[in-house]
Amino acid sequence: MALDFTFTEEQEFFRQTIRDTVNRMIMPRVKELDEKEEFPWDLWREFAALGYLGLRHEEKYGGMGTDTITQMIFYEELARGSCGFFMSVTMQILMGTYFIGRFGNEEIKQRILVPAIKGEKIGTICFTEDQSGSDLAGTRTLATKVDGGWRINGRKQWITNGPIADFATVMATVDPKLGLKGLNFFLVERKTKDRDGFVSGQRLHKLGSRCSVTGELVFDNVFIPDENFLGEEIGKGVQYAGEILNEVRVMTGMSALAIAKEAMEDARQYANNRIAFGNPISKYQLIREKFAKFWAWYEAARTFLYKCAWMIQNNIPCTNECMLAKYHATEMCMYAVEEAMRIYGGNAFCTEYPVQRYWRDAKFLLYGGGTHEVLCDYLGRVYCKG
Amino acid sequence: MEIFVLVKQVPDPEATVKIKTDTELEIENKYFTNFFDEIAIEAALRLKEKFGGKVTVLTADPKRVDALRRGISMGADEAIQISDPALEGSDPFAIARVLAAYLKDRSFDLILAGRQAMDDDSGIVGIALAEALNLPHVHSIIGLEVDISRKEAKVIREVENGKEHLTCPLPALFTCQKGLNTPRIPLVMNVMKAMKAQIKKLDLVSLGIEPSKVGSPSIQAKVIRYLSPPKRPPVKMIKEEFPDNVRTLVRLLREDAKVI
Repeated sequence: MALDFTFTEEQEFFRQTIRDTVNRMIMPRVKELDEKEEFPWDLWREFAALGYLGLRHEEKYGGMGTDTITQMIFYEELARGSCGFFMSVTMQILMGTYFIGRFGNEEIKQRILVPAIKGEKIGTICFTEDQSGSDLAGTRTLATKVDGGWRINGRKQWITNGPIADFATVMATVDPKLGLKGLNFFLVERKTKDRDGFVSGQRLHKLGSRCSVTGELVFDNVFIPDENFLGEEIGKGVQYAGEILNEVRVMTGMSALAIAKEAMEDARQYANNRIAFGNPISKYQLIREKFAKFWAWYEAARTFLYKCAWMIQNNIPCTNECMLAKYHATEMCMYAVEEAMRIYGGNAFCTEYPVQRYWRDAKFLLYGGGTHEVLCDYLGRVYCKG
Repeated sequence: MEIFVLVKQVPDPEATVKIKTDTELEIENKYFTNFFDEIAIEAALRLKEKFGGKVTVLTADPKRVDALRRGISMGADEAIQISDPALEGSDPFAIARVLAAYLKDRSFDLILAGRQAMDDDSGIVGIALAEALNLPHVHSIIGLEVDISRKEAKVIREVENGKEHLTCPLPALFTCQKGLNTPRIPLVMNVMKAMKAQIKKLDLVSLGIEPSKVGSPSIQAKVIRYLSPPKRPPVKMIKEEFPDNVRTLVRLLREDAKVI
């Protein structure tokens, strides 16, 4: 009886609650959020007031300390709404605040984590540069030890929430020659008249997830005090990153599930109503095959992702499984949004129908948590090695 | 104020409902709190916030407790489920008798309920319960103010071509209609509390009710047959050019659709 795929009654209740919240708060605004391409401050404040930004943090800082499966249920339901809003929220809940909660001293936690959980301060994490992203060893942002702290120099790109961020967890190297062994995390705040810090560079205009603002952050000889070094010892940044990468990949997979399901649910309705040659197009075998393939791959992806969530929750090593599940779920999502576009025919090509938004939003999932080329190269190597 | 709110879980609007046999439906396992019941919970919570007291959510659904947890997540203090296998298949009158058996010896100022459940839409339980408890009741209210010192409530309900303002002594039972308020979205802290909340369960024996007085044997109005809504006829495309297409359209509206 060890194998059990059921959610508990409490988990089902939690899912239904967040689903209802998304339906009432986000769904009516999805089109507007996509079109405006601005960070929705009003929605952010309203959502933050409900307390979800503290989902995985300790209760003493205003968090809820939920388990991994509950968090994944939340991500799966939240991503049904605006994918851009999902990205901003998950950056705040997970990547943007994790290392503050893990390594920040009490003063930092009170000054930064507590308001972040309330949504009053916006956080982000900075990995990507012009020549590094999936290849972290190529990181060039430099952290130089000085008296009483560190000097940070470099530019970070593709930073989710970057243009509005108040603080950032920045991956920087103490020596580029050390490769992965030189990498560390540092807390850097936005520059003010009283404090050294980062400034915003160019903002990016994206194909999808458009209400999540993304851009460049510039670190021009920024001084940070010693306590802003986030870690126990120098050179363990990659190891620390590994602590959340499994979660990040499963979370990305959850958003793939949500986008794929929404796209195909819409496509199903369309196929049942669109008449061609005297019949709804859902009567034709080539259209039905698309739904059958989606259904099979969706169910497999969902089961695999929740298995990974269960492994994370039970501290079972699962790095490869999480990579595989993220890869599989995202490719399934690519199939779903592409086929949904084909089911809509020419109507997919106009913005009147939401299907093009699913297609645009889904594309970003290919890169978050490592490009599929890098993941597959690694996974293939592991598999061949046996 | 001591307030009881009657709640029920109904199929989620997204759930698929199929006719299994003439008298049996197959409903996808997706349930949620009845929309009108959430309005009743919200009204109760606003009164509690104003006057203090306690809000208890109560259901006679033997199977599901989602609506009770929803009530707790919104801010209710206690949740009670009357749960007994014999309740399966009960009609609204039997449910009202069961609820009355629980409430008859209890002290309260107000009972609130949704104006109807969004599954069978019968809208009977609240009113039948008021009758069973010999309480004054107003159906389908869209306004509610309580004067605690005078132990009375001023309520508004929609009537044809206007609104009716009524004064009603407390305790009373009101059923709530859309427009009374907008139910709050629960805080995650309360959602977590609701997930862990202990639901108090009562059976029919503890209420002194004979099992034969509820469930299928006691049904007063039986479902004879469920019928699917008629399928929408296919769209007719008029292919002629103007002005022939207008003539054809008018002819079809007159002869086929018979709407002009």
